[in-house]
Amino acid sequence: MKFKITTCLILVQFSLIQVQAQDKSTAKFGDITEKDFAQKVYSVDSNASAVVIADIGSSKIEGNSKGWFSLVFKHYKRVHILNKNGYDIANVSVELYTNGSEEEQLDKLKAVTYNLENGKVVETKLDVKAGVFKDKVSKNWLVKKFTFPNVKEGSIIEFEYTKTSDFLQNLEPWEFQGGYPRLWSEYNLVLPEFFGYVFLTQGYKPYDIKDRKVNKENFRIVDSRGAGASDVFTIDANVSVYRWVIKNVPTLKEESYTSTLNNHISKIEFQLSEYREPLVYRNIMGNWLKVGEELMKDELFGQLITKDNGWMKDIINPIIKGVTSKTEQAQKIYAYVRDNFTCTNYNRYYPDQNLRNIVKTKNGTVAEINMLLTAMLKHEDIQADPVLLSTRSHGYTYQIYPLMSKFNYLITKASIDGKDYYLDASEPRLGFGHLPLRCYNGHSRVINASVDPVDLKSEMVNEVKTTTVFIINDEKGKLVGSMQQTPGYYESYSLRNRIKEKGKEELQKDIKKAFGAEVEISQFVIDSLDKYDNELGIKYDFDLAEDKEDIVYFNPMFGEATKENPFKSAERFYPVEMPFTMDETYNLQLEVPKDYVVDELPKSMVLKLNEQDEGIFEYRISQSGDNISFRSRIKLNRANFMPDEYEMLREFFNYVVKKQSEQIVFKKKK
Amino acid sequence: MKQLIVLFSFLSFSVVSQAADGEYAVSKISPELLKKANAVLRLEELNFEIINSGKAVFTNHYVITILNENGDDWAEFYEYYDKHRKIESLEGVLYDATGKQVKRIKTKDAEDLSGVSDASLMDDNRYKRHNFYNRTYPYTIEYTVEINYNSTLFFPMWVPQGKEKLSVEKSTVNIISPADYQFRYKTFNYSGEPIKTQDKKNNVVTTWSVKNMPAIEKEIYSPLWHELTTVVIFGPGIFEIDDYKGNMASWLEFGKFVQSLKQGRDVLPDNIKQKIHQLTDGITDEKKKIAILYEYLQKNTRYISIQLGIGGWQPFDAKYVATKSYGDCKALTNYMFSILKEAGISSRYTLVRAGANAGYITNDFPSQQFNHVILSVPLAKDTVWLECTSQTLPSGYLSDFTCDRDALVIDETGGHLVHTPKYSLNDNIQIRNVIATLNDEGTLQIKSATKYGGLQQDDIHGLINNLSKDKVKEALHQQLDFATYDIKEFSYKENKSLLPTIDESLDITVSNYATITGKRLFIIPNVMTRTHRKLSADVERKYDIQLGYEYKDIDTSTIIIPAGYSTEAITPDTKIESKFGKYSSSVKLQDNKITYYRSYENYSGRFPAKDYAELVKFCEAIYKADRNRIVLVKTEQPAKGF
Repeated sequence: MKFKITTCLILVQFSLIQVQAQDKSTAKFGDITEKDFAQKVYSVDSNASAVVIADIGSSKIEGNSKGWFSLVFKHYKRVHILNKNGYDIANVSVELYTNGSEEEQLDKLKAVTYNLENGKVVETKLDVKAGVFKDKVSKNWLVKKFTFPNVKEGSIIEFEYTKTSDFLQNLEPWEFQGGYPRLWSEYNLVLPEFFGYVFLTQGYKPYDIKDRKVNKENFRIVDSRGAGASDVFTIDANVSVYRWVIKNVPTLKEESYTSTLNNHISKIEFQLSEYREPLVYRNIMGNWLKVGEELMKDELFGQLITKDNGWMKDIINPIIKGVTSKTEQAQKIYAYVRDNFTCTNYNRYYPDQNLRNIVKTKNGTVAEINMLLTAMLKHEDIQADPVLLSTRSHGYTYQIYPLMSKFNYLITKASIDGKDYYLDASEPRLGFGHLPLRCYNGHSRVINASVDPVDLKSEMVNEVKTTTVFIINDEKGKLVGSMQQTPGYYESYSLRNRIKEKGKEELQKDIKKAFGAEVEISQFVIDSLDKYDNELGIKYDFDLAEDKEDIVYFNPMFGEATKENPFKSAERFYPVEMPFTMDETYNLQLEVPKDYVVDELPKSMVLKLNEQDEGIFEYRISQSGDNISFRSRIKLNRANFMPDEYEMLREFFNYVVKKQSEQIVFKKKK
Repeated sequence: MKQLIVLFSFLSFSVVSQAADGEYAVSKISPELLKKANAVLRLEELNFEIINSGKAVFTNHYVITILNENGDDWAEFYEYYDKHRKIESLEGVLYDATGKQVKRIKTKDAEDLSGVSDASLMDDNRYKRHNFYNRTYPYTIEYTVEINYNSTLFFPMWVPQGKEKLSVEKSTVNIISPADYQFRYKTFNYSGEPIKTQDKKNNVVTTWSVKNMPAIEKEIYSPLWHELTTVVIFGPGIFEIDDYKGNMASWLEFGKFVQSLKQGRDVLPDNIKQKIHQLTDGITDEKKKIAILYEYLQKNTRYISIQLGIGGWQPFDAKYVATKSYGDCKALTNYMFSILKEAGISSRYTLVRAGANAGYITNDFPSQQFNHVILSVPLAKDTVWLECTSQTLPSGYLSDFTCDRDALVIDETGGHLVHTPKYSLNDNIQIRNVIATLNDEGTLQIKSATKYGGLQQDDIHGLINNLSKDKVKEALHQQLDFATYDIKEFSYKENKSLLPTIDESLDITVSNYATITGKRLFIIPNVMTRTHRKLSADVERKYDIQLGYEYKDIDTSTIIIPAGYSTEAITPDTKIESKFGKYSSSVKLQDNKITYYRSYENYSGRFPAKDYAELVKFCEAIYKADRNRIVLVKTEQPAKGF
């Protein structure tokens, strides 16, 4: 026993020295010994069900036989599966792009499972012929799938494959961070000087190795597409050899108020920007002005809205009949598009069909529906432009680079009488001038002659909620109350959707449920239910049960108290991104119950978030004669917070929850 | 699943009738059918023509008027197809409110999509989908789809009212069969006998039809759908799939077919045979043997589903599983069957319909109603049940996924229905002890020890076996009912047995658990076990109440509070008894120690609709009792002992 421990220690020390010196992963395909199975827990994450020992990708550009260049991506991965919960990593999918005629190729696939049986390493190979399945998931994407054979707790699995692509814009990105912790994540890239790519990096973990060398390489391009003998070209060129390594990468956990984890994981991506000497120079990526110009010339983009579109008048005339104000016309057209077209895909920034088709089929992608809206507004000489953006869950976009793949959504900007309106007609019941919260994701682009950037930040939305409650003694000495509430716009919007689905009665039932069976609710009214541009107004009266106890306890917030802290985790490793700022006010005027006196009131308090006016929680209560006035207000002027502000934010809400649970105590008069 | 239908003779008829302007005008719907409805099935004609024992043609023709946005689900057409079921043609028509034809589509206008399920690595399911996306209400859609079956294992089902809030004007199903072909059927809520006629080819046409069914609304804890509305299910006599033939006339016969699919697939490679003997030779206790081999299976295989063609019904053979170490439920069960056989234990491949509270089988109507396979091992005194797709369940325990339902046990003689074990009130337990300390700020330090048993441990079993420790902590954060808190420590210990239990211990700090004002302390003595069930009271109940799951909770809590408080308001002991369960709780303060006791028994069963009000009251009373607060006031002098 003792001997065992000593060797262990030596081993650890030895490997520490190795790690410090190590600039290459020790993992090599097929090179597995019993020692590789020894470790059962890895310090990078002691709870991990599987640990990626090495994940190594290499991309380069080669001359092909079609007279041009191909991308060749090699991927090698070794994983140690520690327990059953890690089995899913043994199911592998490789996505392959196709444009209909050309298809990315997967080959040289090898996948082997290693198990330690009776102290010996036993290999089981994947039967590549029978065990790889192909599923066509969409027009442009195929998936090849396989699973490793003979996987058990403790197995080590390894695969390598090569993916060849004729689509130079698809230079493989690399995620250093993912669902399982990684001991070694490495990406190698060899780029000839005649192709320009923009590098986009993100994440909070620094590179352990970051290296660039310049070599010479000879490129041979064969063109055998013609009828006669093949043409052969060769190019000698400098190539840059890049290498990035991050060691010991933990996983990132999704917490509340996160736009998408994809914005925060360590990752590098590439975008083809230009062809250079000795190729004929060509700017591929362009700049925003150029991209805008091209989009405006595009048959399925700019031309949709710059064309005459005279055929629209038969549709529009009845809609705006008798309406002269431009704003009102815009509102009518917006409502028409919203109410008559179904959005079938919320993930497109580029229309796939012309507007007549959309009108005919009554459905379209978000890009198509809002293009139709733009065109109809323009038809009435209302200034309107499409705006490209990326929704929150799709990740941020870059202001400097016109990277179209970063966009996934299109809305409309209308300018009427000097006022700008952002419109999205893809959501039923969304009001004029309101965007779905997913659209507030920072940098967006107006596509017109000047291609202006717009910053749609979440601070542009302020959810203001006001609740006013009056409670008095009725003639019989019973407490009766009335409640008036204006929820914030987005709360109103989701309530509308719920009422549409379940009916108004269900909402009333839920309110009654929250009060408890002995409370009676009457005169239930919802205002503005069909005025989608406005907040709802909710009103009702209620009777409180007769409570003739000697002492009565009474929470002045009723069901409106914040009962849970939205920030559950004790720590936070990346920013908090709330979808809006907020301002919630609750007012109560309460008459002391008949035959009772106040024995205890909660204490008033004011809590500020940070010293500046970034947020405030007020809890004010006072008594004058038989009347108690109470007011609670939570106001947050910021929507985004850095990790080092997290504790403060959590503590702020902790106070809110605590304070809002306090009670007023009434005692029966003696 | 909404299945679709029509026969050619009817088709020409319906084409003619469409010419008649406004046949589907909304104005023609009787007001009775508009009540509570989001959509109205105007016409449905299902025709299932059995060509022979291996082939059939199914045509589904239906017309639905969508009254409002909530009826839009009905406007979407989709139909799965695979190797045994091919969509031959599709036609669709859109009408406006006046019944005027607006648009017409054909097969090529429908989308064709991959239907590979998320649970499968690969299968051959695809589907066609179409939608007119009309948004002007009301409107009417009509679809006619023809599907060729090259297998007769499945017959369609007739459910005119597929969901709630759909009324039916007219619906008909015709089964067209050769004179010498016997099919079977069973009706629910259908009065009278079907009408039999003959077509030109001397086929027998058997017809069921309904007219003017008002929309119905589901209620919470409703009985099964076929108890609420008209349903007719059909099944083959003689059937074929690929090269296999069978007879569905009895469970015994159907079992023979299942047996034929797996016949000869139990041959194990020598190395596995050796392993089995190595593990079990010399052990005489059969249950022990089974447990050892089951554990061997769990350690050495995992669930991977690849279902192509007949592979949807036929297990991969034992050798395949032995070399790949994976398989789906059929393959893994057959593998375990083979392993036990080698160890000299005879077992039974058993078909079930899996899912929590979803295992209903029409047991007097033999047909393919199953979606899962488990293994039963009959011993001299009892039966051991094995779920072969799980790497974690104890030997012999079935969980809510397959317990308490009819299952078809297969042996060499054929199939036999048996009932899987039911776990009852005293099996499904949660026994909790809480010891907590409250400080002057209202922060509560909780140490809880909980034993979960039977079905009450299923979720936790899933949690701790499928998630890493971090994720378990996250899940606990979701589940616990406190405002702001930290879980300092947590641990679980599983006691794997026929009736498994899990011991949980938690160490939690809850901020502001109690509210302390100037001189008072408000605290809910029931710290951790609170029901969340609240029902809406003012509903006029129509259907029986079906309560599925019985369990028992017992809680004992001790809370040490800061010294110097005495009771101002304390809830008297609560005792509630009804046919739905039994509840009692009590709380007392002694010195600075609050002692709380709670016991709750939740019964299962079927109760008449008139009992609903009582159920609402019962739930409300418990909901309230669980949240009763006690109020303590500061006394002048500290309590004795401090």
